[in-house]
Amino acid sequence: MTHLLEVQSIHTFIGQYHILQGVDARVPKGSITALLGRNGAGKTTTLKTILGLTPPRQGKVVFDGREISGMRSFDIAALGIGFVPEHRAIFRDLSVEENLKIAERKKGDYARKQDFIFSLFPDLKRLISLPGTHLSGGQQQMLAIARALVADNRLLLIDEPSEGLAPVLIEQLMQAIRQLSAETTVVLVEQNFLVASQLAEHYVIIEEGRSVKQGKMQDLIQDKATIHRYLGAA
Amino acid sequence: MNLSVFLRKNLMLLTVLAVLAALFAAAAGGMESSDFVITLLRGLSVGSLTFLVASGFSLIFGLLDVLNLAHGTLFMIGAYIGWTVYVRPDTFVDLLTPLFLIFSGFMLGDVWAVIGTRGLFAGGTKRVLPWAGSLVSALILVGVLRNYPVSIWNPEDYAQSPVSISYLAGQGQSLLPPPAAFESISPLLALAGLVLGSLLLAFSLSLFTAGRQMLVSRLGWRSFAGFGVFLLAGLLFFVFNDALTNFLAALNTNWLFLVAVTVAVGTGVGLGALMETTLIRPLYIRPIYQLMLTIGLSAIGIEMVRAVWGRPEFTMPRPALFAGTGEGCPAASLADWWQYHCSTMILLDGRIRVYNEIFVPIVGLVVLAGVWMLLQRTRLGMVIRAGVQDREMVEALGINVRRVFTLVFALGVGLAALGGVLAAPSIGLSNMMGESFLLNALIALAIGGLTSYPGAALGSLLVGLLQQFIIKYGQIGIPIPFTDVIFKPTPPIVPASTILLMVVVLLILPNGLLGKKE
Repeated sequence: MTHLLEVQSIHTFIGQYHILQGVDARVPKGSITALLGRNGAGKTTTLKTILGLTPPRQGKVVFDGREISGMRSFDIAALGIGFVPEHRAIFRDLSVEENLKIAERKKGDYARKQDFIFSLFPDLKRLISLPGTHLSGGQQQMLAIARALVADNRLLLIDEPSEGLAPVLIEQLMQAIRQLSAETTVVLVEQNFLVASQLAEHYVIIEEGRSVKQGKMQDLIQDKATIHRYLGAA
Repeated sequence: MNLSVFLRKNLMLLTVLAVLAALFAAAAGGMESSDFVITLLRGLSVGSLTFLVASGFSLIFGLLDVLNLAHGTLFMIGAYIGWTVYVRPDTFVDLLTPLFLIFSGFMLGDVWAVIGTRGLFAGGTKRVLPWAGSLVSALILVGVLRNYPVSIWNPEDYAQSPVSISYLAGQGQSLLPPPAAFESISPLLALAGLVLGSLLLAFSLSLFTAGRQMLVSRLGWRSFAGFGVFLLAGLLFFVFNDALTNFLAALNTNWLFLVAVTVAVGTGVGLGALMETTLIRPLYIRPIYQLMLTIGLSAIGIEMVRAVWGRPEFTMPRPALFAGTGEGCPAASLADWWQYHCSTMILLDGRIRVYNEIFVPIVGLVVLAGVWMLLQRTRLGMVIRAGVQDREMVEALGINVRRVFTLVFALGVGLAALGGVLAAPSIGLSNMMGESFLLNALIALAIGGLTSYPGAALGSLLVGLLQQFIIKYGQIGIPIPFTDVIFKPTPPIVPASTILLMVVVLLILPNGLLGKKE
């Protein structure tokens, strides 16, 4: 199996706190991999470390055969990694269209991708001229994902997409993520195990800053003891 | 948003604006219409200069969270640089070669970063090399610069001081001294020394941060292009020194003023970029140090200006377009002014200074519109607006936010320098001009909203108008109702009034008139 992303024993500090104390993860190309774990386990920090926003002090991150740990975060992103942060980070002073256009890496990215984006999220089309903050939580989440789709990203890092959303919106989002995973590899941080298990083919469990288990989601679903022990879900 | 929602949301703001408008109307009612128009235009002039400082300050603070307390000093430096180019173009041209050659080495920043991060040096060498290299390069540069010929004034000798030179230039008696010549050092050795010193200094300084630098992904031709351009420019200025000096000296003062403005703004932009990349950037996580640094830089800047240009105040002659006093002056209309280039113009029976009260506010408006367009209509503006809110997310989109930081810092300082060079023919040059405009700008920003660009404009306008109306009422007096007393505000009330306005606005609207809740 070809791995698009390999995280090798990374240690990350935020200030004096040793947050990641040895995370290993392999993300197969063309799949959805879920990072699972309890609150504060280090899932979000893992995503930020991959992207260089909180650079690792030890360990390696290899993307498509190239070591990216130590590179500047905008250089890492420019290699083709999109990020959808936990709190969406929609730019409030920018319109919906500007929120999408700012993600262009090549001139014309937005024009080229808008049909695909609006087919995934039709709501955004009618909201195009509104300021980003005039959107509901679900619409902001769609915009955050859409923004990560504007450039030609080969890997999407999506942090807690279902957080704070109504069930009907979660279903819509899951549908969209499934659709886009046909073209892009996805790493998903998801607190809601039900959502993660329905979306992802692979998983990595992180516990207190360490990766403790990884494999195929199908196997995890059968392994009630592991789910109960690390995720608190039955 | 419908009208009622808008009114409900902005009730306080609209009330404050209505009260201010009423006070303004009352102030207008208390004076002759000619006095009112002149005071209004003077207020616009001071407001425009304040805005040029405040807008740059606001942009820098909004995106970078840096309170640049050296901003006023950079405004002042813009004025002195502009004066130098305008009144002593020979000095300006003489300085170009050493400046370009000294900066050439710093253009190879990526190359030094690659060498530094590849771990070519280890152990004791790694610790000693930055210090040894810096020391040796400093010795080389100081040695060359002490002997490099620059034709310059002498602030210690009154006849050759900027005060006298400026006075003579104002009288149209500007005579440049004979060009300075190489005496104790050969030109070739001087040029080689400058390039070598620059390369060694830039490399040595980069080694101090080598361990903390991120990997540079690629080393393309761009990494060397800047070095090549600076080196070539430095050498060309050396070869064509006399020709360029003579060209500038023979230039019409209008064009020379334009060159002076361009150079002052360019210097401001360059200084801003240099300051951000070398001094501010390492301190983004230490805001208190940043504050102390900018206060220190301000003090250093003032002392440097005193050492080079001297302490006394002096004026910068106005360009010919605004200096006419002979036939047809004062102008009766703009058409007359255009024909006779009068320094003053009659408006509603009052006399206004065309440069101060017409030209400066127009430039202020053009800058306001230009920067507004930049922020609202360009990709850079979009990135700046997004970066003000969430720098990390902008970086996660693959945008080099640091470069945008440098650009914004440079733009902000460039605006301050523009304010300085525009202020020079209007209020003259003094060592403390920056401090007073910085204070005005800070008050304007507090009134308008600290990170709001329109707020900077509105606050500056209010500060300018209030000051000028208080000054005017200091002359004509305010009759106190139901008494025979006429109150004449004294000069100390001028700055106090703006502070009072700031306090009142902040008590009612803690984020300023157009500021957003943080």
